[in-house]
Amino acid sequence: MILVGLLLLVALVLPGLPLGEWRAFLLDTAQFAFLISALALAWDLLARTGQLSLAHGAFFGLGAYAAALTAPALGTLPALLVGGVVAGASSLFLGLATLRLHGMYFAIATLAFSEVMRTLVLKAPFTGGAIGLPVQPAFGGAFPLGGYYLAVGVLALAAGTSLLVSRSRLHYAMAATRQGEAVARVLGVPVVRVKLLAFMISAFLAGLAGGVYAMKTLFLSPYDAFGLGRAVEALVIPIFGGLYTTTGPLLGGLIIVSLETWLRLRIGEGYLVVYGVILVLTILFLPKGLVSLFRRKGVGHA
Amino acid sequence: MLSVQGLSKRFGGVHAANAVNLRVEAGEILAVIGPNGAGKSTLLNLLSGLLRPDEGRIEFLGETITQAPPEVRAWKGLGRAFQIVQPFPEMTVWENLLVGALYGKPNTPARVAERVVEEVIELTGLTPKAQTLAGELTLLEDKRLELARALCTRPKLLLLDEVMAGLRPSEALEAVELVRRIRNSGVTVLFIEHLMPVVRALADRVVVMDYGQVIAEGPYDLVASNPKVREAYLGRAS
Repeated sequence: MILVGLLLLVALVLPGLPLGEWRAFLLDTAQFAFLISALALAWDLLARTGQLSLAHGAFFGLGAYAAALTAPALGTLPALLVGGVVAGASSLFLGLATLRLHGMYFAIATLAFSEVMRTLVLKAPFTGGAIGLPVQPAFGGAFPLGGYYLAVGVLALAAGTSLLVSRSRLHYAMAATRQGEAVARVLGVPVVRVKLLAFMISAFLAGLAGGVYAMKTLFLSPYDAFGLGRAVEALVIPIFGGLYTTTGPLLGGLIIVSLETWLRLRIGEGYLVVYGVILVLTILFLPKGLVSLFRRKGVGHA
Repeated sequence: MLSVQGLSKRFGGVHAANAVNLRVEAGEILAVIGPNGAGKSTLLNLLSGLLRPDEGRIEFLGETITQAPPEVRAWKGLGRAFQIVQPFPEMTVWENLLVGALYGKPNTPARVAERVVEEVIELTGLTPKAQTLAGELTLLEDKRLELARALCTRPKLLLLDEVMAGLRPSEALEAVELVRRIRNSGVTVLFIEHLMPVVRALADRVVVMDYGQVIAEGPYDLVASNPKVREAYLGRAS
């Protein structure tokens, strides 16, 4: 909790620090790291109900496209909201369709959903198709740090939601659903409602992050926006940082994106090999993620 | 309190429940016994809503709940403890109980739920284990947790599925005492049990099942001497 607040505070004041000639690059990397961390936090919220999604790349992409397409007409903030809502609404359909699926079957269904969404965006007449879609910067470029602070805002929202859920009764409903669905229902937990609610909150946040991402890269293509890589990253980060926590995905996201960027700079070709080895080692030696390093034994959540 | 009419459930060609009729009166302790595979656990799954019947009707407190999902039945006052204990392993005992207390009745304020947990944890003797992870309990503690969690939903009718199985005689005796205390606090109990001494000690009335059907019903002594019941348990003398 304190760590989460501290990290967000650093994110807020970062542009004001004397960062030297690397300033633009650092802020750009930080902005990307915030968005990916927000995506990881969103993924983790759904995972708390036992649903391991491979659809979060698609929610991110849907949010990105929806925000990009509506921003010229609606303005930046309403367009981002539309992105979140479109992603959230699509998750409701996916959630209803996958209610009875568990584990691997659920994951495969969400993967299929991603492919369908990518194909839809590829073939739709208004998305630019395979050529791609140019996007306006946030607030029409009026504020140079606008996009950066939007990313901080989305991250704060995702972290805040995650903390809030951990401290609410929903935390118990989600954990019970994950650890024993049939028993949870017999104890009165409305499992269907809990799963769908988690889906919608999670997809909404992922969609918001996607919208800000679109306004950052200024160009979207279905291959990038709906890439499987991002869906995998959304799941690797919480596992790396610590599942079912707020600190885990947040810290994990910042570390992984920074690490990835730094390795790409230092090694260039083949940086993914080193990146992969570090991930494997972490998961081998810290199966409960980074957060297990500074958490006392026995607490089921943090 | 509970009335079951013509309840049937088939799995492939097997009649796990075959036109079962059953009544549970408020305040009683009813035992359901029968050989392995008689359909006792299927009956409990039908009653608690984890299975839907092919035919028949279930009425609880005057309402038809045949198609109601498990959580709705829990809210109406139908509690259930499982035969194979299924604690939420990554939660502490306290948190396990809190799930039942928070969600067993809709919109339970957290403060009320915590008071319920305090009462139940005391009653079931789990207080020293409150902060232990449920995955680290002994079998006896697991059984207690299973029972306690069901109690936290504040049931009017409690369904117990072989909660004594695997316990040593002294432990079973303790459990019998606990079930009595639960009934005396105003909860009606329907339990499935294999241990005949437990059935004899606890049950006001016994229902015997075999091949998915109710074959006998009445006080323990009457049922135990029923030739059909002896046949079901011991096999037909040839």
